[in-house]
Amino acid sequence: MGQDITQTLVEQIAQAHQEARPLAIHGGGTKGFLGHDLVGEVVDITGHQGIVNYQPVELVMTVRAGTPLAEVEAALAEKGQCLAFEPPSFGSAATIGGTIATGLSGPARPYTGSARDFMLGVRVINGQGQALRFGGEVMKNVAGYDVSRLMTASHGSLGLITEVSLKVLPVAKSVKTLATSASANEAIALFNRLAGQPLPISATAWAEGQAYIRLSGAASAVDAAAKQIGGELADNSVWASLKELTHNSVAEQSTLWRLSVPQTASLDLDCPLIEWGGGQRWYTGDAPEQELRAKVEAVGGHATLYRGQAERVFHPLNPAMSALHSRIKHSFDPKALFNVGRFHPEF
Amino acid sequence: MTAIQSGLLDQAIIDDRRARIVPKLQAILSSDQLKVTQEDLAPFETDGLAPYRRMPMVVALPTDKAQVIAIMKACQSEDIPVVTRGAGTGLSGGAMPHEGGVLLSMTKMNAIQNIDPDARIITVQPGIRNAAVTQAVAPYGLYYAPDPSSQIACSIGGNIAENSGGVHCLKYGLTVHNVLQATVITIDGGELTLGGESLDAPGLDLMAALIGSEGMLGVVVEAKLKLLPIPQVTKVVSAAFDDLGTAGRAVGDIIAAGIIPAGLEMMDKLSLQAAENFLNAGYPTWAEALLLCEVDGTAEEVQEHIEDVTQVLKTAGAVEVKVARDDAERELFWKGRKSAFPAVGQISPDYYCMDGTIPRGELPEVLQKISDMQDKYGLQCANVFHAGDGNLHPLIMFDGNDPVQAEKAQQYGSEILTTCVEHGGTITGEHGVGVEKINEMCVQFPGEELTQFHALKRAFDAKELMNPGKAIPTLNRCAEFGHMHVHHGEMPHPELERF
Amino acid sequence: MQTSIVQKYANTPQGQQADAILRKCVHCGFCTATCPTYQLLGDELDSPRGRIYLIKQMLEGAEVTEKTRNHLDRCLTCRSCETTCPSGVEYGKLVDIGRDLVEKEVPRGFVERLTRQALISVLPNRPVFNALLKLGQTFKPVVPGALGKKIPPKRAKTPWPAPRHTRRMLVLDACAQPGATPNVNASAARVLDRLGISLVTAPEAGCCGAVAYHLNDQAGGLDAMRANIDAWWPEIEKGCEAIVITASGCGVMVKEYGHLLAGDAAYAKKARRIAELCKDMTEVFAAESLEQLNLSAQEQKVAFHAPCTLQHGQKIVGVAERYLREAGFELTMVADSHLCCGSAGTYSITQPELSQSLLKNKVEALEAGRPDVIATANIGCHLHIETGAQTPVKHWIELIDDVCGA
Repeated sequence: MGQDITQTLVEQIAQAHQEARPLAIHGGGTKGFLGHDLVGEVVDITGHQGIVNYQPVELVMTVRAGTPLAEVEAALAEKGQCLAFEPPSFGSAATIGGTIATGLSGPARPYTGSARDFMLGVRVINGQGQALRFGGEVMKNVAGYDVSRLMTASHGSLGLITEVSLKVLPVAKSVKTLATSASANEAIALFNRLAGQPLPISATAWAEGQAYIRLSGAASAVDAAAKQIGGELADNSVWASLKELTHNSVAEQSTLWRLSVPQTASLDLDCPLIEWGGGQRWYTGDAPEQELRAKVEAVGGHATLYRGQAERVFHPLNPAMSALHSRIKHSFDPKALFNVGRFHPEF
Repeated sequence: MTAIQSGLLDQAIIDDRRARIVPKLQAILSSDQLKVTQEDLAPFETDGLAPYRRMPMVVALPTDKAQVIAIMKACQSEDIPVVTRGAGTGLSGGAMPHEGGVLLSMTKMNAIQNIDPDARIITVQPGIRNAAVTQAVAPYGLYYAPDPSSQIACSIGGNIAENSGGVHCLKYGLTVHNVLQATVITIDGGELTLGGESLDAPGLDLMAALIGSEGMLGVVVEAKLKLLPIPQVTKVVSAAFDDLGTAGRAVGDIIAAGIIPAGLEMMDKLSLQAAENFLNAGYPTWAEALLLCEVDGTAEEVQEHIEDVTQVLKTAGAVEVKVARDDAERELFWKGRKSAFPAVGQISPDYYCMDGTIPRGELPEVLQKISDMQDKYGLQCANVFHAGDGNLHPLIMFDGNDPVQAEKAQQYGSEILTTCVEHGGTITGEHGVGVEKINEMCVQFPGEELTQFHALKRAFDAKELMNPGKAIPTLNRCAEFGHMHVHHGEMPHPELERF
Repeated sequence: MQTSIVQKYANTPQGQQADAILRKCVHCGFCTATCPTYQLLGDELDSPRGRIYLIKQMLEGAEVTEKTRNHLDRCLTCRSCETTCPSGVEYGKLVDIGRDLVEKEVPRGFVERLTRQALISVLPNRPVFNALLKLGQTFKPVVPGALGKKIPPKRAKTPWPAPRHTRRMLVLDACAQPGATPNVNASAARVLDRLGISLVTAPEAGCCGAVAYHLNDQAGGLDAMRANIDAWWPEIEKGCEAIVITASGCGVMVKEYGHLLAGDAAYAKKARRIAELCKDMTEVFAAESLEQLNLSAQEQKVAFHAPCTLQHGQKIVGVAERYLREAGFELTMVADSHLCCGSAGTYSITQPELSQSLLKNKVEALEAGRPDVIATANIGCHLHIETGAQTPVKHWIELIDDVCGA
């Protein structure tokens, strides 16, 4: 199954290193909007495909980066397992490599963890064309720095991810969604109050005057919690539309900002969609970029542009962090080949 | 494996450094915060891995962030290494001092700065004990999930340095999954805030780089930790087996049944006996292996899972399956499990604790191999470990006063770790590389990964003053070690000159 | 742990015993977690593990100064570390040896010697202590500050039932207790009287030996022990069932008589017998049927302070609390109940600053649950906590005595 083109990729990158030629990493192209324009010769990962190792009883899958996300999810579903961080795909062409490189997580994120939380191991080719392997297929591994997680959400700035090993989990036996009318502030307060109680909550969201709560786990536990929390039973399909940003509250908006803030933060911005217990809020208004960023930063958060126009896609780093990032970039990619300026302009 | 005396700096160099740094430190610290005489320094010469010892040049005990910044600046300007030490319970010698460096003991910085029960976040100084965090937030129905066996004594700062695990990792993750933010002082005295109270932070995920970095990148002076609600119900099933391999296979059977236990631990006969000596917990000391399987959740869920687990264990060949009567008995079972390492101190003057991790499916075979090695080295080995994570903790028992035994224990340990790597695992799951497994890192990473690690370190610490000689071996060291460890007929790093 | 004891100590009984204890320690550091001084000071040298290392250094021939002596002095000997230690390190015995050796290596200055000698002479000496106590109580209103606080309030003596039962037990009615808290043994006597046991004293008995022994006057301590054995022996020969101790600090010492006098041919056997007969009040209760007491406490909230000598020294945990609950008292939650109150024998006098910090924390923890009364089981803790608490302090047997029904 699949194809291993590591050698070709190594040669291409080594050549580029020799010639100090910039490279642009391409996967399925579904998240092109998430970052500044790519410059340089294309490194195409989509030809590097296949599930390398999947032992359901070990709760681990190792897969080449160009493998479609859909194929990964199908293989897991067949064994009653899943990627518990519920990555959004933003299109059928999405690859697992792009999923990890962007580090996006879905509705379950505050309750079961993020993409990086499920990373166990990675193979990367660094900016010198060296194929490296970090981490592995075991649940715990502290040999050396945790490069696997550092690569997650690095947007291709440190190297080319060629293979990932992910922790996978059994699919919940029972899933139910509750809906109840609430204002945005009421919903945030409710989500946080419930999060402090031992309940099998796996997702929360608020949109269009409705607070949604998803319960996942053993049927008996889900039923008992549903009774305790109350509210109307709603369709589970709402979570897929939220994850893919096709929900009515945000689907058609031409401006879309993702605001990542502390869950209980009180934010003076009108957000039509709130997820992650208040930790991820989507803003579609026309506040100027600087003002928006300042407001979000003041509560300890940051803003990312998904749709529309702005000077920067990602939130700027402070000078000390910016300098450190440049040094880290240099340590992996000394000649600055990979995705230069895509993540942050300074590297 | 006694006090390290070879390869040390000349006394003249140490004296010169001490003469340069002490006046600067005296300007920062009060006299009881600075240790300079042999008498005062000796108790700091080792951490939880007592066979590895080295006298520090100076010990500094800062009480606040400003002092840490000042100490770091002083050390950077004088080119003096800094080794950070938490509670000194580490089992890989990560806090073993540098003979020409400052040992930064963070134990005086142990305050809780804030508890936010609504956001479920606690802000602490690094010296606070892991168990004290959970104790402080218990009134709010919350707890801090990572619970290394040394949690009674180990510090959050040390947990961050080692990415500590514990007995509940399979379900609740490691330290890396439970720390939201860390304030870090780098060697130049710079202050960085990594992570945040949001669920992600701008830029690279530097928390990932920091956690488990063994004090090589900076010093944590404050951390915000994620708190979880205490489960409604927690129950533990204990299953006694008359064969270690059968117990190993039962672990896989539980996971295959679609159950993710909160904890899944195994103790072999020797460790059962040691723990029983200490606690009289009522362990079945006749058994060859005991599996402890904890499930938590709502009352209904737990009932369902307990029945499933009991069935799986019986089918898997458990001789006796029992559910702990009440919370008191459950806590006693865990106390015994968590005290098992030092309890082995009752039956052996010294032990050497390994930390290899392997895919769960390899458990039966690797356990057998480790057991067989007892005859080869003429030493006993107890085993007590996180079966659910495949994280082994073989405890090689020896007498440190007998140099032959000490040497053999080290060889035994090295062979166990090599075996773990051969079975697709790693040399360390949660204790860190420290000084102890530095040679085995060459087995784990025979390629250019080590060079990459060093480059990453220099991004934080250009002069490589933070905890030098730990965690990541130099290529020269590997080449030297390579004399002994020719792997599958290949010589690692053929490009390097041999010594 | 690896050790290499120098010749000077290697062949002495003390050196050998210390070596055997040290070899059990694996340097895991668990003990640091429950050490009161380490929790306050955060310095390895003020933790059990650090002190063990300091003692090890001394036995291995390293130079020692007053620093080692100071760190050993700061130890409360609460032995909390012993109940925490999974390796079974007998820290209490080791620190006694360490103190004895360091005292010889680094003799104390004149003033310090004088203070310690004064404590050894006064506290265990009932007539002298009582005379000073009376003087203090009389002048308490005019005694300044900290010293004034240390003087316990006057308490009226309550009646002691005349011996009338065939079952008899001895009670240690030794040094500070009869003067400072005279009702404790009287309460014990009344409660036991109801259970059909007469509690009697041996007038010749004195201090259990702890004060001198722990101030490192080990010879003086052993003399006190021999004197007690002589004082008790006639009663024991007459069939007295037990030696009841209502102060757990004395109890832990008397239980050690057998071990400490093992080398004394004349007393070894008797000392062993005494140690066997020695019972904390909780242990006496364990063998009796308490229904006949008709205990009926009403809505009284009690915060129990478990003395170190009870929970760590004698390893009696949660027993007095159980009796109080059974009697109908409501027990409040007390955080860090394993930690010492800072009294620790003469510690409150020799290490006033640390002692006061520990007392402050302890009183906060005890009063957090808003109890009506604080109960304890040792005279030292009793008097010490009383100096810092707003809540009245009593021995738990006094509470039981108060609620005995008709």
